[in-house]
Amino acid sequence: MQRLYIVCIAFIMAAGFSSVTIAQENQNISDPFSQAKFVPDIAVIVDTAYAYRTVKDFNTYEQPGFIHPHHHEESGEHHEHDLNQSNGFNFNYAEISFYSQVDPYFDLFAVVHASTDGAEVEEAYFTTQQLPFGLKIKGGKFLSAIGRLNDRHAHYWDFADMPLIYKAFFGPQLNEIGVQVIWIAPLPFYMLIGGEILKGQNEASFGTEGFSNNDISIEEANYPNVYTGYIKTSFDSGNFTVLLGSSGIYGKTRINHGIEDTDGHAFYGTTYIVGADVTLRYDFNSYQYIALQSEYLYRHKDGDFYENDGSTTTIEDFTAKQSGLYSQLIVRAGKLTRIGLRYDLLAQNNVNVKSGLPNNMPRYSAMFEYNPTEFSRFRLQYNYDKTLYSETGNKTNHEIIVQCNLSIGAHGAHSF
Amino acid sequence: MKTVQKIFFTLFSMLMMFMLYLDNVYAKDVAIVTTYQYIASIAQQITGNAAKVTYLAPSQFDPHFIVPKPSYIAKLRDADLLIINGAQLEIGWLPPLLRQSNNPKINTGKLGFLDLSQFVTKIEVPAAVSRAQGDIHPEGNPHFSLDPYNIPLLAKAIYDRLCAIAPENKSIYTENFNTFTTKWKNKLSEWDKTMQKMAGKDVIEYHKLYDYFFMRFKINIAGTIEPIPGIPPTSKHIASLEKYMDAIDIIVQDVYHPDDASQYLAKKFSKPLVVLPHDVGATKDATDIFALFDSMVRRITQ
Repeated sequence: MQRLYIVCIAFIMAAGFSSVTIAQENQNISDPFSQAKFVPDIAVIVDTAYAYRTVKDFNTYEQPGFIHPHHHEESGEHHEHDLNQSNGFNFNYAEISFYSQVDPYFDLFAVVHASTDGAEVEEAYFTTQQLPFGLKIKGGKFLSAIGRLNDRHAHYWDFADMPLIYKAFFGPQLNEIGVQVIWIAPLPFYMLIGGEILKGQNEASFGTEGFSNNDISIEEANYPNVYTGYIKTSFDSGNFTVLLGSSGIYGKTRINHGIEDTDGHAFYGTTYIVGADVTLRYDFNSYQYIALQSEYLYRHKDGDFYENDGSTTTIEDFTAKQSGLYSQLIVRAGKLTRIGLRYDLLAQNNVNVKSGLPNNMPRYSAMFEYNPTEFSRFRLQYNYDKTLYSETGNKTNHEIIVQCNLSIGAHGAHSF
Repeated sequence: MKTVQKIFFTLFSMLMMFMLYLDNVYAKDVAIVTTYQYIASIAQQITGNAAKVTYLAPSQFDPHFIVPKPSYIAKLRDADLLIINGAQLEIGWLPPLLRQSNNPKINTGKLGFLDLSQFVTKIEVPAAVSRAQGDIHPEGNPHFSLDPYNIPLLAKAIYDRLCAIAPENKSIYTENFNTFTTKWKNKLSEWDKTMQKMAGKDVIEYHKLYDYFFMRFKINIAGTIEPIPGIPPTSKHIASLEKYMDAIDIIVQDVYHPDDASQYLAKKFSKPLVVLPHDVGATKDATDIFALFDSMVRRITQ
């Protein structure tokens, strides 16, 4: 107790002396226009990795009918989440995120994705705070809430990469400009119903840019090109939780691979994608859980396939029915470690203009994670990839990724 | 395209009508949601039957790391009042749930949002914060609910807010609140008396969880099993604790951290290992806010 008094007296004396000093040296210390307290929550997340592959030129292979490497070369587009694309060291991204309330009516989020190639806005959107009846509107550029994984940022993925079916259909995420409406139903259990109207620039399944040559002309989309809808529900009993979701996406597809030139081809038509997902999770305690998650996606494309043979442009009816799934098991063994297994499958692959496309292309993944704290993560992942094809046939790729993901600053918590 | 737009807008307007209908069907009593069970227990003491009180976090779990189950969104969606512990105890799990609940009544700063940490004096407020210091709380130690002298302050804050939200029930709340505070006062003198013999004892705990309780009863906290907040014990840290173990009277363990390090130290140095509840429901005997402190006092003095 005596010690406390001495500390108190010392503190009062120190405070007294220092205020006297300030008054002498600095007559006016007010800072009436400082806005320091209004700085939004800012976080920086840096992701680097080391990748080793047995197929060194894996980038030149394709998953026939699903993923074509020449997309990137022709358009020169940088794909936001094409991570670990080099052999050896990879600097994947520095993600800079901002969040704050705008006023009593809106929240604003922005996520900037910076890499050595430059920086781009990954997400920048507002959400409403005040709508009644469990409604919320989001507007801007954002990751669509379809599926189980689409709206997750890369640092919150369970593996170093997205499932192949996401890469094939969304490349690997449906990140669009548009408007979203979410409704939480006033029921005793969780039910979310939502929909989006989107610009639909996604190159993997949609696209807004028109194309033309001497024979044909497809106009650029001048209205929202893609519509989505989804329903999610969840039940839990004790430490056991089930989350179910189903989604639908509908839009116009415009794909042009050099229709202006000889041997170029293009597609214009209608695409819909439907999906269903299920997550089962059991929490043993605060630090240990087991979670099984599976998702199935089906894509139907229907329209006209154009081919420029040099003299004329031929038009063919085009129908593609493709599907894929992944199934993953994650075990958090303790506060610091997680283990995961994943099975990827590009399943159905029926395209009427191309015969002999391979069906049932699998990839197997295993990962081990060490998280010293919530702010640092080291992950070792192994992929056994049977999906790579070239003109000479199928090639097996063994891939090892060592990933390091660190975050600083004020980053919000994640949802289930 | 036209037909798709038509279908979309028809569905949307049907949805709007359906939700208006549901909202009327589900019109109900004052719905209170609390993050932790101890808050629900205090609120229950004040409301009696004049409100529906539910809590989110299971007491067997680490209050810093609650699994953000989607069913919590459904509970928050219909809440008239959300009462949180605050001081960043919920920062790791509540914010996304609150945002996803789409309930404007319980947004921060609204009448339907009550942060209890604003009504008590917090200890161990750090002069500077760095994550090199582990999971540090800039606003001070958030486990203030374990000082029994803080409970009447929290109860008063809840009572005031309830009266503002449902003035029609004010007489019920006032009666219950007065009964509660009188009963609590009696309990405080009982606990003070029983705990007198504990003054000056030296304890170690896993996490800085019971500091308010120990400081209230002049028990000296000699150290923690975890080296810094949120970091599991290392062998190096346990070795450094071992040097002081002879002077320790009691090793205190909570219900949610692994107890192997505590067990090891208790066995090696033949020291009593006491499991204390940190929340209502954490141990079987902590059935409500009174029983929580009864249990803590009984267990530590045994």
